[in-house]
Amino acid sequence: MAYVIGVDVGGTFTDAVLDDGDGRVVAAKSPSTPPDYSQGVMDAIAQLAENLGEPLDVMLGNTHHIAHGTTSSLNALVMGKVPPVGFLTTFGHRDSIYIMNVEGRYLGSAPHELQDVMGQTKTHLIPKSQAFEIAERIDHAGKVVVGLDEQSVRDSVGALLAQGIRSMAVSLLWSFRNPVHELRVREIIHEMDPDVFVALSHEVSPRIREFARSSTTIMSAQIGPGLRDYLGELEARLADAGLRGPLLVMQSNGGAIAAAEAPATAISTIGSVLTGGVIGAVNLGNQLGHKNIISTDVGGTTFLVGLIVGGEPVRASQTIINHHPINVPTLEVHAIGSGGGAIAWIDRGGNLQVGPRSAQSVPGPACYGAGGLEPTNTDANLVLGILPETGLVGGRKQLDVEAAREAIRTHIAEPLGLSVEDAAAAIYAIQNAQTGDLLRKTVVEAGRDPRDFVLYAFGGAGPAYCAAYAAEVGIREVIVPLGPVASGFSAFGLASSDVVLAQELSDPGLMPVSSEVTQQHFEELERQLGKALERQGLTFSEVHFLREMDLRYTAQLAEVSVTVPSGSLTPADMANAMNEFERKYAGLYGEGTGFSAAGIQSITLRVQATGVLPFEPKMPELDKASGADPCDAQVATRRVCLDSRVGYVDTSIYDYRKLLSGHVITGPAVIEVETTTVVVPPKMTGTVDHLGNLNIVTRG
Amino acid sequence: MPAMTIPGSERFSSRPVDPDVLIKGLDGILPVHTVTQEQIDDLDPLTYEVIRHRLWSVTNEMGETLKRMSGSPIVTDANDFDFAICDEVGQEVQVGLYNCMLAGAIDLAIYWTLQNRVKNPGVHEGDMFLANDPWVGGGMHQNDVIVFQPIFHDGLLFGWTSAVCHEPDLGGVGLGSFSPSATDVFSEALPTPPIKVVRDFEVQEDVADAWVRRSRVPLLVGLDMRAKVGANTVGRKRLLEVIEIYGADTVKAVMKRMMNDAEGRLRGKLRSLPDGTWSTSGYQDQSHTGDRGVHKIQLKMTKVEDHLTFDFTGTDEQSGVINCTYAGMRGGAMLAIMPMLADDIPWAAGGLMRCFDLVADEGSIVNATYPAAVSRAPIGPAWALGQLVAECLSQMMDRTVEFRDRVQAACCGTFDTAVVAGLDQRGPFPVPFLNIVMDSVAAGYGARPKTDGMDTGGVFPIPMGRLPDVEMTEYLYPLMTVWRREEPDTGGPGRRRGGLSGSAALITYGTDFPVGLVVASAGKGVSQNGGLAGGYPGNTAVGIVARNTGVKDGFAQGKLPFDLASLAGDQELQQCYGETYIAPGDALYLHWQSGGGYGDPLLRDPQLVAHDLAEGKVTLAGASGSYGVVIDDGQVDVAATEALRAEVKQERMSRSTAPARDSGNSYEPGSGKRIDDNLVAVDSGGVDVVACAHCGHELGNPRTGASLNLAFFEGPTALAGPHVTAQPELYVDETVVFRQLCCPSCFTAVYSGVVPSSHVDHVLDLDRYLTV
Repeated sequence: MAYVIGVDVGGTFTDAVLDDGDGRVVAAKSPSTPPDYSQGVMDAIAQLAENLGEPLDVMLGNTHHIAHGTTSSLNALVMGKVPPVGFLTTFGHRDSIYIMNVEGRYLGSAPHELQDVMGQTKTHLIPKSQAFEIAERIDHAGKVVVGLDEQSVRDSVGALLAQGIRSMAVSLLWSFRNPVHELRVREIIHEMDPDVFVALSHEVSPRIREFARSSTTIMSAQIGPGLRDYLGELEARLADAGLRGPLLVMQSNGGAIAAAEAPATAISTIGSVLTGGVIGAVNLGNQLGHKNIISTDVGGTTFLVGLIVGGEPVRASQTIINHHPINVPTLEVHAIGSGGGAIAWIDRGGNLQVGPRSAQSVPGPACYGAGGLEPTNTDANLVLGILPETGLVGGRKQLDVEAAREAIRTHIAEPLGLSVEDAAAAIYAIQNAQTGDLLRKTVVEAGRDPRDFVLYAFGGAGPAYCAAYAAEVGIREVIVPLGPVASGFSAFGLASSDVVLAQELSDPGLMPVSSEVTQQHFEELERQLGKALERQGLTFSEVHFLREMDLRYTAQLAEVSVTVPSGSLTPADMANAMNEFERKYAGLYGEGTGFSAAGIQSITLRVQATGVLPFEPKMPELDKASGADPCDAQVATRRVCLDSRVGYVDTSIYDYRKLLSGHVITGPAVIEVETTTVVVPPKMTGTVDHLGNLNIVTRG
Repeated sequence: MPAMTIPGSERFSSRPVDPDVLIKGLDGILPVHTVTQEQIDDLDPLTYEVIRHRLWSVTNEMGETLKRMSGSPIVTDANDFDFAICDEVGQEVQVGLYNCMLAGAIDLAIYWTLQNRVKNPGVHEGDMFLANDPWVGGGMHQNDVIVFQPIFHDGLLFGWTSAVCHEPDLGGVGLGSFSPSATDVFSEALPTPPIKVVRDFEVQEDVADAWVRRSRVPLLVGLDMRAKVGANTVGRKRLLEVIEIYGADTVKAVMKRMMNDAEGRLRGKLRSLPDGTWSTSGYQDQSHTGDRGVHKIQLKMTKVEDHLTFDFTGTDEQSGVINCTYAGMRGGAMLAIMPMLADDIPWAAGGLMRCFDLVADEGSIVNATYPAAVSRAPIGPAWALGQLVAECLSQMMDRTVEFRDRVQAACCGTFDTAVVAGLDQRGPFPVPFLNIVMDSVAAGYGARPKTDGMDTGGVFPIPMGRLPDVEMTEYLYPLMTVWRREEPDTGGPGRRRGGLSGSAALITYGTDFPVGLVVASAGKGVSQNGGLAGGYPGNTAVGIVARNTGVKDGFAQGKLPFDLASLAGDQELQQCYGETYIAPGDALYLHWQSGGGYGDPLLRDPQLVAHDLAEGKVTLAGASGSYGVVIDDGQVDVAATEALRAEVKQERMSRSTAPARDSGNSYEPGSGKRIDDNLVAVDSGGVDVVACAHCGHELGNPRTGASLNLAFFEGPTALAGPHVTAQPELYVDETVVFRQLCCPSCFTAVYSGVVPSSHVDHVLDLDRYLTV
């Protein structure tokens, strides 16, 4: 039986999880290594081989594929650390990306920011000196109105090359209708310099509406070269180490794609690292029978929230980054704050603040002794006794409690006139309250009541806080996935993903459009997807194609997707699509609201291909305990402070490896897991379930 | 001519009411659900927050529904619509973030309905009313069509939902229901007081047919009507779900508390601002086709403790198409108050509106009586009076540290309207089309004490305004956008620069016939986008139809025009209001308004000007002409800049008239309490006087007079800068001037405006700077 490996690269740690297809799941963890994240991946995989007890080349030789989620592209975009990109567009329309349909002022803003009109600004992807107009024009029907002036292309490209620009985005009006000019522009660029990275809008996002298409293309050109270099390097290193199967990269839509294919449409992987945890939560939710889940993933650097409603992750067809629209179907994941490495500091008003700045993996918390001098959540937890001085049971690193105390003393305790212990307790309390507030805001602003949800908490830094922040927002039940995936839960999600590819094309027309032409379009999309699936280099247990048409009443802004049968299409299928649209529409907006007299338009055709991989990682079952009393798993009693008003109290410390299914732990208690630490606060209880998860009930 | 009124029309004029009186009037006729103060006080904070966000989410979903279902690009792509959840009497609990002027109108329609529809035809569960009567409310002109619905719970009237959007055409003599030559409402779309379009949850097809029959685009109007029905249906369903979970009393208590909180928080802010009186006036150049008048809107804003009064007495009589009803006046005030004072207060508009009063003469531009033409209401007078409210609020807030970042020079003062309609011959069968050109949504914002105005930031009254993509316009209509871009130098010069506006050129594409064109704008001869604290106004607007441009012939030779000069043929300047056509071969050129500047442009950091030059925000000529900054090869020439700036000040001195009275007193520069960029209040023997912040010269002393003593200059409008291209005599009879008021000692500009020569300089009023 072959292995599947999931690798999740976070800002602080890289996690790897291996499923051997035979009931065994092994995990490993290693610090991330920016800017070259591939080293951290190799470290984690080497660690994984060690934990599995096999030589690295043997393990990799038995591996069917590695599914990879990476944060590097997203971080680069959000931090603005991207190489300069040139932009070529149709004459007279350069300023589209500066005018931003005026919605660039508020896109992606929360409600309270939306009404703060005067607090808004526009930020631009590139300066005007890198944006050029080239003489050409294609009309709405795809007809060439003004031929491409190749000299104007050469002049613009020459000027960009002279600026040292190595990546170019080309987005011409109506290119999705007729790509001839975009394709020729790429040829010219490559004639002038074959190594320049080129993103064409009709390939990255063949949808009508030039602003979103252009911004998607530019951002893809901003991250494409970096992703290409990174994945190229990583694939080579993995191959050297013995990997024969492919490396896959997770996309924002929750499915994976082969690494070699990813850079061309780099932007589709932007949510890569965010979605693994949500997919993992869906998977585990299926095993546990939970349909409404708030998935919280707290790593060293970020705090991510995803919502699962009725067993399905909440999705969006477009995402917003830096106030620019990105035409990429995604699972909706909110980054709401800071993780374990968040730095505690005093603001000018003398108030204690935690985050959003993080110590990341370098230099890391003060107690790591790697040069970090500022106090972090991790340092506070060490002082409070939540973390043992010996470090995590799975780790080999002794933690330096004196360094942690020193950092808290100089930065927090002395300025505030507190003892070091009280300062640490204050950091812990602020982190809990702040997280609770942000979580409430995210869930409530999505129109949901947190009280209707079960909360899943994972990531290395989540379990120390989750019971407290869940209680803050009124959630009754918290699941901490433990066992081998305790802190590598996102990597577990990655290992359970299938390959999902989508291809779409905009061909606006009045319904019923010709069934023959539509069939040709779909067959062409399926042909492209079939080839693309082949290029993944994988064996699929099955392949599904799902055809969709986006329809709307004439001139509406938004479309409603309806599915269309596979195979040959007849006029009756077009009529069915219209009926299905009207039925769905009435369901969404109420009976009698449809108005077919206005006409129905078809806007976008889409095919989603799912290559189902013959793996379904499951969490292994844990042996049953003979009774609820977990005293055999208690390894120590330590003085721990969870509340400054109570102070340090004797607290039972449990070794997770000795816990069995059915054990009930009464708070206050700390459970030490290989890669994380779980806190069960006073007056709460935690029960170990049949899969080894800890189920904490926050109130009676 | 005194305003004519029609007997019998008064009954349609809705005004704010005392909710308790209204409820009492329903006693025994319509059972109403309400809660006690105790129930409001007993809410726990988490429940309050959860339900409050739920209501926001319900409102938002209504908006999304409307947007998804509507067929009007003005809704789907420009977001000119809004919606609200109201309590049992119609007070607005939560409004959307789209066209925030509509918040001033929605409740009025519900009050009117409760006063006039309860007995006959009745207000029942499953009903929805439709209205487009600007006197009744619900909208500001007839194109704003509201559909609103009573929500019942356990047989009691619990609340209302509503959805309003701008319809592209509802009949009348003009395209888009806009007749630029109208002198009364009978030339416009017919105002319709609330009629029951849905009864017992069923759309009444007879009413629906009567409704759509008036329009040039009945299919779109029919679709939109159903979109609003859909939005209300969603709102009702969601609201009842919330009631189901939390109970009607709890939900209602939250609704009441939201309004009370908004009111309390706005009052708290007002208390921390200085009391006083601020006056100003603004202008509409031309009132309808053929008019050459300048029409004044006069405002006196008084703030006492936690209450504002906006008194428009002295405003010109209603005229032409530039009038608004009471709903428009209220909406205009809200367009300034909501973003400037309530940015961090949830928009429970019903609570916010308790904090101000409106005073205006009946029959004036801002409070028109039936049958005045009002089609221009939201984008003409309501917007313009909102600009005046914003100006007075800004000057009040500039005196505080806390509110200074809310201070803003005027944004673009109107929506530069162009309606085109003709025959679309691109498909198998020719079909008529009608489109409102949206490019001019990309207007500039005013500059602020610490930041430049936003370039092509949008129109201020619609926080979530949007401009359609060129591709969507070209897909829908037989038009081609030759260019759409930002225009350098257009932002009002100032220490902080006003936000740029842009221009667009369109040709017909896919029709062999001339396309009808209606233009309606303002700010072409007289500025509407004034600066603050000596900042200059932004550009004046320009509209041109270029005849026989040869653009399409040029296409075949690979030529694309890039500016007005490269369009061949005759260029017909468009007046503020007019009707013409665009023939095949012609081009429509639109150049709309930017935002005004803040502070004297001679005080702008030269490095910022150099950056603006590199980013195409100013030209080299603009850098020297407006800012006195000399840039050579991208670098500021410091010595030449200082010399040029000194020269400009010298020029100001030589051209200005010294003030009649000048004490000659002087104070330590930089001492005193800041009033704005140029003025400080200095203690002089126990009395505050106003001095120049830059040189310390005494500018005003309450012991010797009630106004500032400033050097005065008035000259041709071209002196305001290269962006003020207007020749006012082409638009209006009255003389329009560039007026500048400077410190008579250091000649820093305290005021710079493009105004009619009759303009009264309220900026000189001493009591706006000193609390007396």
